[in-house]
Amino acid sequence: MDKLKRFTQGFIIICLVFSLFGGVFGVSAQGDNPSANQFTQMDSINTDWVIDQTIPESYQKTAENDTYLLYVDHTTLGFKVVDKRSGYVWHSTLDEKSVEDKLNKSWEAFAKSGISINYLDSKAASKRISITNAEHELTVTPIDMGVDCKLTFTDFGISLSMILKLEPDGVSIEVPFESIQETNPEFRLAVLHLYPFFGATRGGSVPGYMFIPDGAGSLIRFADTTKARNILYYRYYGQDLGMIGRVPWDPFVNPPYVISLPVIGMVHGYKQNAFITVIEKGASYAEIQAHPGGILTNFNFIYNAFIYNQSYFQPTNRAGAGVTTIQQKPNQFDVKMQYRFLTQDESDYVGMAKNYQRYLLEKGVLKKPDRSNKNNIGIRLEFLGAEKEKVLLWTRSISVTTVNQMEAILEDLQIYNPEVIYYGWQPLGASSMPPQALKIDSSLGSLEDLLTLSSNITESGGNLYLYYDPQAAIVGEGGYSKRYDLAMAITIVELFGYHRGKPNNYLNIDALSSNYSSLTQDVWNYETIGLALDEIGYNLYSDFKSGNFFNRESAIQRYREIIAENNDSLAFYSPNAYMFDFMNAYFDMPVSNSGYIYTTDMVPFLQIVLAGYIPFYGKALNFSSDMKMDLLKHVDFGVYPSYFLTHEPTARFLKTNSNWIYTSGYEQWEEEVKATYSWMNALLAPVIGEEIVARDVLQPGVVATTYANGKQVLVNYTNQTVQIEGTTVNALDAALREVLP
Amino acid sequence: MKKKLCFTIVITVILIFVPNSQAAADSPYTTWAYGPNGALVLTQDAYSPYAEIDLSIKSAEDMFITPEGEIYIADTGNSRIVEVNQEFKIVASYGEDFLQGPSGVFVDKNGNIYVADSKKNAIIIMDKDGNLIKELGRPVEPLFGKSREFLPRKIVVDARENLYIISEGSVDGVVQMNTNGNFIGYFAANTAEMSLRMVLQRTFLTEEQLAQFIRNEAASPSNLAIDNQGMLYTVTAGTLPQKSIRKFNIAGINIFPEIIGSNNFRDIDVSDNGLVVAVDADGHIFEYDITGVLLFQFGAKDTSGNQRMGTLTNPTAISRHQDYLYVLDKDKNAIVVYSTTAFAQTVHAGTRLYMEGFYEEAKPYFEEVLDYNGLFITSYKAIADAYFKEENYAKALEYYRYAEDRNGYSQAYWEMRNVVLQNYLGTALMSILGLSILRSGVDRLNRRYKWFDPIVAWFKDLTRFKLIDDFVFMFRFIGKPADSFYYIKKDKRGSLLFAVLMFIWIAVVRVLSLYWTGFVFNPYASPSDIRIENEILMVFGIIALWITANYLVSTISDGEGRVKDVVIGTAYSLFPYALFALPIALLSRVLTFNEAFVYSFSQTIMYAWMILMLFIMVMEIHNYFLSDTLRNVLITLFAMALFVLTGYILSVLFGQLFDFISAIIQELGLRG
Repeated sequence: MDKLKRFTQGFIIICLVFSLFGGVFGVSAQGDNPSANQFTQMDSINTDWVIDQTIPESYQKTAENDTYLLYVDHTTLGFKVVDKRSGYVWHSTLDEKSVEDKLNKSWEAFAKSGISINYLDSKAASKRISITNAEHELTVTPIDMGVDCKLTFTDFGISLSMILKLEPDGVSIEVPFESIQETNPEFRLAVLHLYPFFGATRGGSVPGYMFIPDGAGSLIRFADTTKARNILYYRYYGQDLGMIGRVPWDPFVNPPYVISLPVIGMVHGYKQNAFITVIEKGASYAEIQAHPGGILTNFNFIYNAFIYNQSYFQPTNRAGAGVTTIQQKPNQFDVKMQYRFLTQDESDYVGMAKNYQRYLLEKGVLKKPDRSNKNNIGIRLEFLGAEKEKVLLWTRSISVTTVNQMEAILEDLQIYNPEVIYYGWQPLGASSMPPQALKIDSSLGSLEDLLTLSSNITESGGNLYLYYDPQAAIVGEGGYSKRYDLAMAITIVELFGYHRGKPNNYLNIDALSSNYSSLTQDVWNYETIGLALDEIGYNLYSDFKSGNFFNRESAIQRYREIIAENNDSLAFYSPNAYMFDFMNAYFDMPVSNSGYIYTTDMVPFLQIVLAGYIPFYGKALNFSSDMKMDLLKHVDFGVYPSYFLTHEPTARFLKTNSNWIYTSGYEQWEEEVKATYSWMNALLAPVIGEEIVARDVLQPGVVATTYANGKQVLVNYTNQTVQIEGTTVNALDAALREVLP
Repeated sequence: MKKKLCFTIVITVILIFVPNSQAAADSPYTTWAYGPNGALVLTQDAYSPYAEIDLSIKSAEDMFITPEGEIYIADTGNSRIVEVNQEFKIVASYGEDFLQGPSGVFVDKNGNIYVADSKKNAIIIMDKDGNLIKELGRPVEPLFGKSREFLPRKIVVDARENLYIISEGSVDGVVQMNTNGNFIGYFAANTAEMSLRMVLQRTFLTEEQLAQFIRNEAASPSNLAIDNQGMLYTVTAGTLPQKSIRKFNIAGINIFPEIIGSNNFRDIDVSDNGLVVAVDADGHIFEYDITGVLLFQFGAKDTSGNQRMGTLTNPTAISRHQDYLYVLDKDKNAIVVYSTTAFAQTVHAGTRLYMEGFYEEAKPYFEEVLDYNGLFITSYKAIADAYFKEENYAKALEYYRYAEDRNGYSQAYWEMRNVVLQNYLGTALMSILGLSILRSGVDRLNRRYKWFDPIVAWFKDLTRFKLIDDFVFMFRFIGKPADSFYYIKKDKRGSLLFAVLMFIWIAVVRVLSLYWTGFVFNPYASPSDIRIENEILMVFGIIALWITANYLVSTISDGEGRVKDVVIGTAYSLFPYALFALPIALLSRVLTFNEAFVYSFSQTIMYAWMILMLFIMVMEIHNYFLSDTLRNVLITLFAMALFVLTGYILSVLFGQLFDFISAIIQELGLRG
């Protein structure tokens, strides 16, 4: 007893000493915190900079409207836009290089030309040429509000035409696919670079940043040096499985986020000038190329490059030998991009997000929500229903959460508006293919029970969704034909990937369409059940099966058609922008980004775009290693919480594919879920259905997000209590207050 | 009172250990923990990436962090040692004048800096201001070895200023020297591995042929660390992952168990709180407790040049300081820092208490860990141990079962059985005595009045059914085996139908015994691990092989048995297994490791009896002498092996043929 007492005393002393160390570390690390790029930095208005605003003689005034003036240079295809509201001139190309710009001839041409291309020769080697350093023929024809340019690189036989027009919101650029010609079989058009140097700045001379829609959103502030080692590439909507065949899967690696919004942007001077580039058509074959100053040149630039032909490795025998060859036909897609300009107060990432939101509203993608009686926030509760395991000589389904158990859990939780997802409802559970009509596994209960439960949930303001992955053809399962239903890569192998612990091949469009229609038609008969669609929202692959070829762009069209036919009540997991108009809820909303070391801030761009229109729910908090920090980020970004719940503990389904759900037992999580929900509800219920109008970092680690109805959420990430104009926010906590609009 | 004190301690500790780390990015790696069946399972992140600090170093090979947090880096490319403070600024650099290629660095408690210089092949000792104290070259003592080279790469120093040096390619182990440069001895050598293939090679090949092979020498250790009790830990690349980390006591014996490791470890670090951490060339970081149980494995390499925070390109050194892990990356010229998450802090706190024997104090931590991740096996073991200590044996049993700890399960079961025995043994003995008195009474009465005679007669009558007769015939083998085989041969008793039924029953018994054997003795931790099809196939396969081989061999060597005889004979020979395997399995459910002898002995007797019966069968059915029987049995076994080998070769060939044809069909299908 004595020994114990002495030990505990010593232990407490050691703990206190450690915490002191830790505390000192925590506080001192505020100033130059090496991990500051996981938060948003403070911004201040800095007008102490200047960028050359002259418009050289070679530029002809081409169009004008209420807000902008457009000048075009007919030899380089560069253009300049003057924002009449501020008089700021946006340059699309470099006019004069200075000595400090370390630009060699190729880069100088790249910077001075509006259009550059990469071509592939017969050996599949890629080279870049620009207008100003290659033999070309260029005809520029004035059209209403713009110009129509036809460009041919004569040495290589590659030609294209581009239409540049002034729109009410900015400038639009189109490159129709019919205009692309490759007359010389030796040379193929690989990549089209459109206005790479639009808005380029030198080093740290202009205070501002570029924006990349990575995860929630990342910023790279302009500086003279950067931690990046090479040009940064990000493929919109993820890699094309159809070109690579299988995802190189390493169980130890957590893959980066998929770029889900076709938007990039830049700020020149906080609250002074900004623009975003929105790709309307062709994003599936576009790639963001970003270059912070200091890698190859001292310029900061970010732009979209469009991929028409790629080389790939075709194995010709089982040993792995093969040839590198170029795809037979170029990717068929039209390009349509819009530069949208912002000025004054709109010129930050919040304004950029609001501008994109306005764009989506105009297109009818986002619709004004029904503001009826939602007084409490939602919560996503995903239940694992059944899984299967091998027993003796056959497989049997293990019921992990039956319908009645789910009902009991929901009653016990007493939470309003739950978005309940039932994963593994199908016969034989989560690792088998879903049926063509709605039937649930017999061990889970009867269909009537499920329907009763779903109508109860709907009445109390929530929704019941059944999990459905339309693209997956689970390896080793029945329910699809291996010969006729699978999509193939360009290397004539079946596409392969892993998702949720299951190895998958992928269905081609026809099979997907027929499965989807037959299941949804049955499900919509029961009006209270919805479907939560996974993978189809973000996974986009082209299908090279002969006779059934589908490229990514047409896959988007077809997916949209298929879903538009049957879309009563749909929610999506991490959808890309082309699915936004179908979703009633967004699941697995990221609250961070992919953690690239060269980014300087993490910002909730995606959340600001959707706030007020679609409710979004984060990733399951069961898997969080730092619950406190994750919850603060949820409140900061307006993201509602999610949990995985099961009636049985994990040990029960350990030997199944779903053992990646390594903690979910309701008995363990009950208290946590209730506590989190009530804490978050108190903070976010007053701002349900409201748009975010502003977000400011008041001091390092203290963030204020303002909503359209005048309420503001204050989040304190630091270890000290702070006082903001009379409102106290405790350490690692959040508070809500009113601000005058 | 004790409980309340513990409770307050726990709350205090939990509150204090709220992490101060600011970083909460999604990690670029997944984290794995030790799960059931020795497999790795996913878990929450134990460490999250905190920062990547670029430093003006080049190709740095080693790093050492003092308890005060000063970071010393062997800046190999710039031939110096740099000192970095906690704000990650270089505050000093030492040894530019006299170092050429420092690849190992160690700092003792006085601040003296010990450097292993790989270009000079010398050990250089500096004081805390960087002044040269001593330079030690190749030891001159004959014990060192005439032809051995001295290629120092890494160094640690113990409390008595003994230097332990990794000399590159040294198969004799770690070089131990003192500060005067005297060679004390070799220490901590690895062992060479012998395999069956090598044994065969050595038996059959000539000297010249053997000389062609690479000599089977022990791999030389690649890096080392020392803990605060002076125990040395080495990591060895290029050896079996299970033996890649070794911990040596004073006598130089490896006391680390077999671990889940890697075959290309780069560095190891042991911290005062009893945690061992190691990094390998693939960018994976492994964390163990002091007894070698894997706690976490995580880490990823930056293969696509993505530059995500927390990825490694070429890690060369790892060190822990307080709640942070520091990894030195040679290609990035940076230190990648990871901070401990709340989850890992709970695990560490629980492990610390558990290692010191405070099971009950550790229990609440491990219960919290189970909330985080229900598959964390070490937690179950620790909680089971705590329950055992509290004498809550039922709970301990349950948790030992989850933890797959047969030893613990056996002990807990013993305790529970003990209680039952103490309570009921007396009653049981009395009732057995009573029953036996009753039975002898009934017997005597029966002999007098013959009450049971009609029943016995009825039973005897049943034997007119052939199958029943065959069944009863089986018991005759217990007493008169040779005679009974003769009856089979003469078609007097036994039938093919019964033989087939017997074989099926054997297969059933095999499967059931796997299911019914108690957990303590069962090779499978859980019923779903058992592959039923495999077991059944194996039983039938072996029996069929035996019968075929035996008949064929016997035919050639003048055996008299017909196929029918061999089949029926084999069936009856297996009766020990058929009769006793299930009861033994059921018996094993109430035995513990203390009575392991009973279980293994009964199994041995059963199998030996079976083999004896088979032997007698061969002798009687084929009418052999003893020596002929022996020869026949050996040749039969050899023939069985040949059958298996031939079958394997054929299946490989057919498999290839099948692949070839299906590939052609596929090609035709795609191109046609």
